[in-house]
Amino acid sequence: MSGAEAALARFRKYYENADFDIPLIEQREFGIGNRKKIDSRHLSFASAADLRSYLVSNTPLFVSYSTAYYRYPDATPMQKKSWEGADLVFDLDIHAEGKYGAYALLEQVKGDARRLMDLLKDDFGISGKDIFINFSGNRGYHVHVRDKSYQEAGSDERKEIVDYVMGVGLDYRTFFERDGLKPDVKITHGPRPEEPGYRGRFARSVVFAPEKERKAIHRGFGKAEAWDRFVAGIRAGNWNCHPFKTVDELLARLAPTASTLGLGSVNTDAGVTQDLSKLIRVPDSIHGDTGLIAKRVPDLERFEPLRDAVIRSGGSLGVRFIEDVPQLVFMGESLGPFKKGEEKELPEPAALFYVLKGSAAPL
Amino acid sequence: MEDLDFAIRYPFSSAAKNALDGRGTQLNESIIYLACARIRNGLRGEAAKSSALHESDKINEIASFAAARMMLSYLRNSFITNKFAVAESKRASGYLDKEDWETVELVGRELGLSAEKGPGALLVPIPTYLKFSPRALPYKLINRELRNGRVLVSQREFVRLMEEAVRKRLERTPVLRDPPAMITDAAKKLVAELPKADLPQVRVKPGDYPPCLVKLLESVKKHQNLNHQARWYLCVYLMAAGKSDEEITGLYSNLPDFSERITKYQVEHARKKGYSVPACATVTTWGFCCADCRIGSPLYWRGKGGGKA
Repeated sequence: MSGAEAALARFRKYYENADFDIPLIEQREFGIGNRKKIDSRHLSFASAADLRSYLVSNTPLFVSYSTAYYRYPDATPMQKKSWEGADLVFDLDIHAEGKYGAYALLEQVKGDARRLMDLLKDDFGISGKDIFINFSGNRGYHVHVRDKSYQEAGSDERKEIVDYVMGVGLDYRTFFERDGLKPDVKITHGPRPEEPGYRGRFARSVVFAPEKERKAIHRGFGKAEAWDRFVAGIRAGNWNCHPFKTVDELLARLAPTASTLGLGSVNTDAGVTQDLSKLIRVPDSIHGDTGLIAKRVPDLERFEPLRDAVIRSGGSLGVRFIEDVPQLVFMGESLGPFKKGEEKELPEPAALFYVLKGSAAPL
Repeated sequence: MEDLDFAIRYPFSSAAKNALDGRGTQLNESIIYLACARIRNGLRGEAAKSSALHESDKINEIASFAAARMMLSYLRNSFITNKFAVAESKRASGYLDKEDWETVELVGRELGLSAEKGPGALLVPIPTYLKFSPRALPYKLINRELRNGRVLVSQREFVRLMEEAVRKRLERTPVLRDPPAMITDAAKKLVAELPKADLPQVRVKPGDYPPCLVKLLESVKKHQNLNHQARWYLCVYLMAAGKSDEEITGLYSNLPDFSERITKYQVEHARKKGYSVPACATVTTWGFCCADCRIGSPLYWRGKGGGKA
């Protein structure tokens, strides 16, 4: 049995009992892929049961659906589908060296997901019950917003939203108003910690800066007294209680704070959010490059992809590695490193993971 | 009695429609005459404020707007339509700037724009704001204060959103079944008197320009309005690409709010100043970047022999 056949047999078993929750499934376009992520598109299904039985009898490596809702989801060309709106989606991904570098960094993507949730709730007023997160099945997370008031937004409008979320063109210096044009004049208005949006987030990041960060702003801030005075001022909207000679010096020293801690912006793929006819992995379907489930994540903090998104099975599978593979924690156990040519009997999910990543072949 | 003066100021409103319907207003020569004048004004980038005193004059004036819309529907010429839309939207915002909040709110609702009064500012729901905000730097969402799903705007800015809403509404012309002969005859005459384009146009070969420029050029060709940054970027880039002032002015004559005098001045001014083409980072900040070319500066596109999109 080839690697792909072994994987597809496993996928088929999973799909027999897969539990999909796809609102307005009958209005979405589907795409499936084996050689590529999407080989054919313009498919549609009347219900989750129809989708399931299709996936059982024609099991693909990848299955995606449209974030858009159409009147005629299977019509071609695209213009005939009659677009009626689309979920607002964000693709949070990590890019790292090598085939396996990303998995150690998935925790970092959670940080982006958390910040995105905060932005969507606090700034965009979107209720938590309209925000759905799922693991992408490989190197990140997908966030689907199903708030009706954003569904009709066009591509330009979505670009504005994603620019906001990513902080494109954001300059923290504009948070400060000054009296006059001379460099040494005082700040008349600065952001306060309780303010909404980026202003408040920036002020909070300064107020709650860890000690190392404080010293980086000014050496004198190592002393609690000087720092407390500065922070007490900020809380009252007064940014003038600092030891710098000029305001410009202060603002310049805050730049690293703004870029590292501070603004709470999110790293996401703008193109995905803007695309009104995007096909994206179906939540709870399997990613054909990993054999991992694009699992819905109700509790981000506790979710561990390489443990919780695995298709559980009791069996094991022998593989021969066709390249070197670094050490990895999979299903709570340390695996590898493996050398090219090494043969190994592994739990089935781990074996399929290496096979699908093109690092091993079944024996 | 309904307020005819309100209907005159806002001829796209339901009050205007009711005023005409209620009187069973029929097309007549004066209405057609006023409608043609309205479209001609639009082509000059102007929109006359009302000076009608008598009720019949007022009704004719309100009806002239509807008649002009019918003519534009019949003509299906996006250049004339968009010019008309820009002029009429500016006319409306000129009036709105002087209205009290209640009136502004009333007209806003007609246009699908609502706002709540907050302390010191108006609160507009984000999706509504995004739909109607002009694509200009101060209106970019990132430069706005957001509060729990709403954008803070001043009344002046709210009126600016309404202007966009009027423009967008007027750019879409309704489908017209069996237009009356008075409308079609007048429309044909009007088109015949238009000067043929005599300004040199910039020719674009595919692959000549980076995707962001191509997108802007396409907008210009479709007679869509561009904001200041977009015009400036286009102008500076075309200069760097060796285009003449006349060619650039000719291109800008496609814009619905084109004024030859102002454009010439701006183009000459830009030439004198010798501005350099902004880097990709700046173009992205302005919101024009639409492809991931990874070239650093739009200028490097040309060295790539078409490059990758």
